[in-house]
Amino acid sequence: MAFLEIKNLHAGIGEKEIIKGLNLTIEKGEVHAIMGPNGSGKSTLSNIIAGHPAYTVYEGSILFKGKDLLSLSPDERANSGVFLAFQYPTELPGVGTALFLKTALNTKRKFLGEKELDAVQFMKRLKTRATALGITDEMLKRSVNVGFSGGEKKKIETFQMAFLEPDFCILDEMDSGLDIDALKVVSDGINVMREPHRSFLMITHYQRLLNYIRPDVVHIMVDGRIVRSGDMSLALYLEEKGYEDYR
Amino acid sequence: MKITGNIGFIRKNNVLSPLDLTGGELSFSVDQDETIQIYCLHLIGSLNIKVQLQKEGARCSLNCVYLSHQKTRKNLSFEVIHDEKQTSSEQIVRGILLDQSSMNFVGTIRIPSNSQKCVGTQNHRAVLLSDEASVSAIPELEIYADDVQCSHGSAVGPLDENALFYLQSRGIDKKHATQILLKAFLTDLMPNEIQTVIDEWMAEYV
Ligand SMILES: Nc1ncnc2c1ncn2[C@@H]1O[C@H](COP(=O)(O)OP(=O)(O)OP(=O)(O)O)[C@@H](O)[C@H]1O
Ligand SMILES: [Mg+2]
Repeated sequence: MAFLEIKNLHAGIGEKEIIKGLNLTIEKGEVHAIMGPNGSGKSTLSNIIAGHPAYTVYEGSILFKGKDLLSLSPDERANSGVFLAFQYPTELPGVGTALFLKTALNTKRKFLGEKELDAVQFMKRLKTRATALGITDEMLKRSVNVGFSGGEKKKIETFQMAFLEPDFCILDEMDSGLDIDALKVVSDGINVMREPHRSFLMITHYQRLLNYIRPDVVHIMVDGRIVRSGDMSLALYLEEKGYEDYR
Repeated sequence: MKITGNIGFIRKNNVLSPLDLTGGELSFSVDQDETIQIYCLHLIGSLNIKVQLQKEGARCSLNCVYLSHQKTRKNLSFEVIHDEKQTSSEQIVRGILLDQSSMNFVGTIRIPSNSQKCVGTQNHRAVLLSDEASVSAIPELEIYADDVQCSHGSAVGPLDENALFYLQSRGIDKKHATQILLKAFLTDLMPNEIQTVIDEWMAEYV
């Protein structure tokens, strides 16, 4: 049984089809990268996996650890192990970051039948993960994603992922907006999470990220389909030639 | 929870004290350089609050949170009269409506022609959690002086779908996510005594 198996997925907004017969299989422990031109449907695919209500699935299936993912609500998907680090994280004015993370973590633990963390255990876990990604106490006191720079938002997304320890991580353009040092910090943060029981789907426009986080498979997505899959050399080829051959 | 009536507080000279809203009609007059702040939690019936800013430097802030469920129909009216120049007023109204409930808000700011250099603001926002709930918010601005600053705004709609999804994508179920966003919507508005009742209401009805 594959870890994630997407078969013949057709989906879109209203009548507008964006994903047009997409197939993708990811095994446990693998890191996959998706590259593709703007507007090819990469973010749409990640939103559909996470369960965004704006999108309709017309046809096809998504199995996650053998379960029908499409029949679950977004929160059930998250608690089953799916995490999406958004390309454009939503701002939540008035919702404090620390309390939000505590609620998210304890909800997941409850869902999995584990004991909720008390305040001390929670703070300890929060501090450890925050320090590793250069997130300050002051940032944790602010409202979720409010008033952060583009790069800081990306760091916070990665930090949430490290904190919640999902087993399927979708990273939508995690490298965009990060400076050179931050890219290294965030990549390190992701690399330490690479474990045999955890898989990654990384969406990126640049081969640079893949130098830090080596993918097992690279896919090219064009117009709602995966048109080519290969290894790292595919990313190198794209860097040189662009998408001309695939349009 | 048992809803028995509306809850009010008034802050005057930095002292917060309870305000009896049972009659539904209240009026206040504010003296020279005096400030009053009124807070109400509007749960049932009609509520009319009128404030006269009688002397120079008088200020008032009228704050209301209304929570509506089932078939309740409510009326709220705020009326501020700037009798003298250099007076200022603020009206802040936030509402949450469920089921088939409805609200009718009228906010009046009256500035006669000789009351120059006054400031009057009004802001109303409501979240509709049901397609069948409705709100009418009418600003009545009767401004006859020309050297004044006045503004009003109203926004009514459902909770932001992307905000809800963001919380859900982190494992928080829809009901809890809704409560978190509503709490954020009403953040820092009411004194603790009222906030506790709001929390109770949300836990029970949302
Ligand atoms: N909520 C939406 N409403 C309308 N159109 C949408 C919506 N979401 C996506 N689309 C459309 O679907 C197509 C795919 O968009 P998507 O964001 O998935 O592309 P992408 O591959 O992530 O692009 P980029 O590399 O620029 O991030 C685009 O044409 C976009 O305009
Ligand atoms: Mg995108």
